[in-house]
Amino acid sequence: MIAPTPPAPDVVVGRSARMRAVFEFLRVIGTSESTVLITGESGTGKEVTATLIHQGSRRRHRPFVAVSCALFSESLIESELFGHERGAFTGAVKDRPGRFEMADGGTLFLDDIDDVPLSMQVKLLRVLQNRTIERLGGTRTVPVNVRIIAGSKKNLQQMVADGKFREDLFYRLNVLPLTLPPLRERREDIPALMDHFIERYFRRRGEDVPPISDAVRQAFLRYRWPGNVRELENACERIAQMCSCGMVGIGCVAASVLLHGDGPLPELSAAAAPPPAEPPVFESAPTPVPPSLSQDAPISLDDRMRELESSLIGWALKVSHGNKSRAAELLQIKRSTLGDRINRCGLGHAASSAHDEHRVPTVAST
Amino acid sequence: MVTTERVEAVLARVRPFIQADGGNIELIAVEGNSAAVRLTGRCAGCASAHMTLYLGVEMALREQMPEFGTLRLR
Repeated sequence: MIAPTPPAPDVVVGRSARMRAVFEFLRVIGTSESTVLITGESGTGKEVTATLIHQGSRRRHRPFVAVSCALFSESLIESELFGHERGAFTGAVKDRPGRFEMADGGTLFLDDIDDVPLSMQVKLLRVLQNRTIERLGGTRTVPVNVRIIAGSKKNLQQMVADGKFREDLFYRLNVLPLTLPPLRERREDIPALMDHFIERYFRRRGEDVPPISDAVRQAFLRYRWPGNVRELENACERIAQMCSCGMVGIGCVAASVLLHGDGPLPELSAAAAPPPAEPPVFESAPTPVPPSLSQDAPISLDDRMRELESSLIGWALKVSHGNKSRAAELLQIKRSTLGDRINRCGLGHAASSAHDEHRVPTVAST
Repeated sequence: MVTTERVEAVLARVRPFIQADGGNIELIAVEGNSAAVRLTGRCAGCASAHMTLYLGVEMALREQMPEFGTLRLR
């Protein structure tokens, strides 16, 4: 919370027109010292972008301090931003510099600026105008050399119109305005983002990156992503935790992504479909073609064997109409062994793959 | 009221994805307020996939039908 953000924590991924415009903006502002106002929904990458702006600036070797103005109560914001002198209030046992002083010479990212109460906005405005702060309970005026980047979830101009945000502060912040698009408005970037995060989280676990099934890509493309890139990142982290079969399949994806895929924004227009993404491949019947094993992707032998085992058990249960003694005979194992294997495979009663009995080995490698 | 149609409507939301992966989720029976489904295909043998789909689908069924009981996998 207090520590300056470490350098280069992230990159911004995207080739969509919307993101190219963002990159172009970043390139144009280059080494500018002006205040930037980043507007974007939660999870669109405001802080990541602020970091990039800082790293592209002449201040890159000085601190980048990020502070969320939503975290603190009104009185605490003041103390956090401007610091306090010993004895300023109960518990203020020693002098403490505020975020402005900590960011001196560098960049201060004021996130959630839309959550700053009106009374505090006055004080913030004065600081931005005079470039000096006064610690709480102090009399000294301290000059600060800080480049300000503000982040807002809401449209500040609208908040000004509604009387919830001071107009003068808005103009002070809105020098270089940048709007980050929500993910649903740049769906063509979803495949690249998936690859990026899935690779990151498998690598972080020290595992090779498995191929991703088309169905998973479709599910990701159709989901609305109300939490934007952050939510997509979390979904990818979850996949890396869940998937152990050597191929990211639909079962690795959180069901909410599947179930809400055709929510308020159902149609994925053909225009938005990305060139690298796969065309829709919804099929009404299971495909008998196994994915090629020749592709240079790792497979887990243990998992494959388990799949084969569960498929064969499923076949035996199917043709024996659920009679486990008969199924055990078919498999030439003992009835008790069959029970153990069913449990070990985590099959419960679900293994009977009705469609698959005539091509069990194929399905097992699917 | 838990009916075959209402359960099918929920299953229909996830089915295209499961089918695209070469599997299926079939409704076997509605018994009282509960339902039994069968999961087939590549993810059918995967315990974590079971958990994911099972919990997710059951939750979706309860969203649509608060009186829904339990979802059984067969």
